[in-house]
Amino acid sequence: MTKEGIAAYLNAAQMAKLNQLVLNSRYVVEGTLAGRHRSAQKGSSTEFADHRSYMPGDDLKRIDWKVLGRTDKYYIRRYQDETNLRVYLLLDRSGSMNYTSDLDRPTKYAYAATLAAALGYVVLKARDAVGMYIYGEKMDAALPCRNSFNEWNNSLKVLQSFKPEKGTHGAEVMHQIAESISRRALVVLVSDLLDDQEEIVKAVAHFRKNMHDVIVFHTLDPVELTLNLKRGAEFEDLETGEKMIADPRAMAKEYKDIMGQFIETYRKAFAEMKVDYRLVTTDEPVDTFVRAYLEERKRMSR
Amino acid sequence: MFGSPMFLWALLAAGIPLMLHMFQRRRTVNTPFPTIRFLKAAQKRSSSRVRFENFLLWLLRTALLAALALAFAQPVLRNVAGADSFLGRSRRDVAIVLDGSYSMNYELDRGKVWSLCKDAAVQIVQALHPGDRVCVYLATDTAVPVIEKPTTEYATVVSAIQSLSCAHVSSKLGETVAAALRTLGAVKEKTEKEVFVLTDGQALSWEDFRASSKKGDEDAGEAIPREARDKVAFFALLAGAASPENAFPSFVKVSPPLMLQGQSARVAVRIGRTGAPKPVTVTLKVDGQEQGSRSVTAEPGTETSVEFVLNNLEAGIHVASVSTPKDALAEDDVFQFLLRVNHRLPVLVVGRHEATRYLRAALAPGAADDSIRQVTPDALDAVELRDFQAVFFCDALPLSGQTVLRIETYVQNGGVAVFFPGETCDPSAYAVFNILPAQPGEVASVATADAARFLRRLPRKEGQKVDFTLPLPPGTMPTVALKRILRIAGEPAEEAATLVTAGEGMPFLLGRAAGRGRCFLFTVGATREWSTFPLTAFFVPVVHQLIRQGSGASVQPAHVTLGTSMAANEAIPNYREEDTVTMPSGAPLQVKESGGRNLILSELPEPGIYLRTKAGGTDEPVLAVNTDRSESKLDPASQDDVAEWTGFKKCVVATDAEELARLVEERRNGRSFTELVLWLALLLSLAEWGFANAALRSRKGATENLAVSVTGKVTGG
Repeated sequence: MTKEGIAAYLNAAQMAKLNQLVLNSRYVVEGTLAGRHRSAQKGSSTEFADHRSYMPGDDLKRIDWKVLGRTDKYYIRRYQDETNLRVYLLLDRSGSMNYTSDLDRPTKYAYAATLAAALGYVVLKARDAVGMYIYGEKMDAALPCRNSFNEWNNSLKVLQSFKPEKGTHGAEVMHQIAESISRRALVVLVSDLLDDQEEIVKAVAHFRKNMHDVIVFHTLDPVELTLNLKRGAEFEDLETGEKMIADPRAMAKEYKDIMGQFIETYRKAFAEMKVDYRLVTTDEPVDTFVRAYLEERKRMSR
Repeated sequence: MFGSPMFLWALLAAGIPLMLHMFQRRRTVNTPFPTIRFLKAAQKRSSSRVRFENFLLWLLRTALLAALALAFAQPVLRNVAGADSFLGRSRRDVAIVLDGSYSMNYELDRGKVWSLCKDAAVQIVQALHPGDRVCVYLATDTAVPVIEKPTTEYATVVSAIQSLSCAHVSSKLGETVAAALRTLGAVKEKTEKEVFVLTDGQALSWEDFRASSKKGDEDAGEAIPREARDKVAFFALLAGAASPENAFPSFVKVSPPLMLQGQSARVAVRIGRTGAPKPVTVTLKVDGQEQGSRSVTAEPGTETSVEFVLNNLEAGIHVASVSTPKDALAEDDVFQFLLRVNHRLPVLVVGRHEATRYLRAALAPGAADDSIRQVTPDALDAVELRDFQAVFFCDALPLSGQTVLRIETYVQNGGVAVFFPGETCDPSAYAVFNILPAQPGEVASVATADAARFLRRLPRKEGQKVDFTLPLPPGTMPTVALKRILRIAGEPAEEAATLVTAGEGMPFLLGRAAGRGRCFLFTVGATREWSTFPLTAFFVPVVHQLIRQGSGASVQPAHVTLGTSMAANEAIPNYREEDTVTMPSGAPLQVKESGGRNLILSELPEPGIYLRTKAGGTDEPVLAVNTDRSESKLDPASQDDVAEWTGFKKCVVATDAEELARLVEERRNGRSFTELVLWLALLLSLAEWGFANAALRSRKGATENLAVSVTGKVTGG
């Protein structure tokens, strides 16, 4: 029987490994529910934020009597509001994502979907909300942000129904998404980023402009990095269908240089925008990667 | 040339890489790839490099296959080119020249040079192919044909070579090579001609070649045509030591040449040396008894002198030798000579009894002496002049023309002739002599008032051969009273000088060097009628001094050099035809007649002591023959020197037999390059392997410089 929903991506053991993990935002976020994440709003919590002058209508119990005693002025103590985290997963399903150099390894799309499922599971376990956008040449699916496992399970079923195909206009779609997310949230982009680099960077910058925390999982197959192929081949572009004959051994050096520059360009651009950029290769088990990543992110946020 | 030219077809294999490249069907697998834009960029960037690498790879592989094909074809480089050599081996005529000089006896670690050269000669003969002909020459002071006509009977040739022995002389390689070339030149068939010279490499042996090369002459020593030098292959084996060591007595001089019993004799020895300076012990033996030894430091390149004094030698002939310690060249370590000690010096006085009275008394003072003999002029023909050390003529002229010739010959051979004028003297009788120091004029009377004269010895002039010293006690002034005097007409003859004067410009005694002997002329007679000279105290020492002036007509040389030819009478005193001369080997020495009654000892062939056996008498040593020591001054020539001096176009010089055999093999069969080409192929294959894999081990790309952590974090770059 074909598995559906989250079971299609994660087994019980993998979910057990992810249980205790939390995906934190490095910035304040705006949620609809009370939660563990710092909100942009002032509210009720134990974490002191600042003082402001008393205004009629304010609750008297929030007056800071110690300040009144010292200064004879009325000041209200304000506390940091805490809210839940809303995570939006952006999943690239362009044709180039349908690549694997080894049949024993998942395609980049399958890997990205699994990664998305794992992250969604982690987010929901922390009682935060998760939504998902699936795009290729256009926006294919916009699944709402909910803090419900059922909703997430349904979302994953929708994800299952999509296969990678055709080209990509990732930058354009990302601009649409950036406009559509009104509150500060955590945006997670899972893509091979094989698009116009400048446009991609601009699109990610759009998210940052809207005060979103952004994580980019640059998903690549190991062979894409090294071109470690043993024999000459007729290469076919998975997006355009264009073909070319080449001897990968003869040009591996130049290819690696070019690929290195490609990655480095993203890395530098995202580092400047304070976007958490991670290169992930499909030979790394998803659960291991997610666990290692989240633990490191937790350390970094302390 | 190629040992297996059929394999040259395999050179076509060198085209395989190109053909593979041209006709290769690209079996490509359709491989989906996320994007080919990076592949395109990489291909564009790498295309020129890849093309260059592919070109180099093609070049390496082509060269590798070509090298392998060449190696199978066994390439050889032959210096001898020609249609016959290409189709098959041509026949050879070979001349072997063995150096027979005594320096070939030099002892090396691996044996004598002579043995090594003979072995090499045998090897050369044994390496000949059927049909090749060979002749053999031995180089001594002349060219000695051993196998004169080129032959194919190799066993005979080998046997002849093995029976050869070294000579005791120096060798003339140029002359011998010329003789060998003449033999080869006489062969009419068109064959490859080769000359092998097997020598120890002493420069002296190449002297005739060297002299001609200095002169720029085309011909060396004995004529070697330019054509022969261009066409004949010349091989030389210089088998001697590169830095030879040798010490040897090179010459002995005994003085005085005429020795008397009881007198002291000095033996001056010259020691030659090759190599670094070294102390050498020189030992002198007389009749087998050691008389003394001296240690001298022999300097290389020069001759160091050492002197011995022998006292109280008994009258007779003594065999003496000077020796140095045995070294690598033992041939020249002993130098032999004879010491002939006389009881007295025999003197002949010619003249009437009265005219010779004072002279006889002076020569044998106190009593009659059997060493003094007096004859009248007419009895002179019956006397053998060479039996006497000196002949005094007192008023003995004129003499017959035959007698005059005998006297002149006697003087030329080392005798001393002293002339005193006399009562019957006719000055014109002196004119027939060619050996007189001056021609006398008239006899003049001296006035009583002018009679007393001081005798004064004139100082010796430069280049003057004849000399005389008055043996007077210090402070005495010799004075004579003259009554008559023989005036001298004109100037003294060539090589003559006035030795003593009696007053200003008045010659008293004149002397002349004639050949090995001396001739003296007194201007006064030996009687009281001429002067008081015979009565003076210095008359006796004067005449005794004159006797010792000559080298002695009957004085035989203390030693002679090997190969010398000399008159029997000159070498052996009182030699008679019935006498037998025995060589050191025991064989009789052949004495040849040389026109008239002259007997010649021709080219003394053996070093050592020669004995004379008189008919019915006992043996006595008569000659000490030594090798010419010029060969002992070892001076090895270098390979380049030999090549330059000989001037052969095809010249190969080696220093040992194995090297020579290899070079000969290379010359004849060509030098094989198979091994070299195989090494080249190995290098090419290593280069191909390394180069072909270099692309896989190219330097790190940018992605490898970027570190990707397990969390996906990219660092570095």
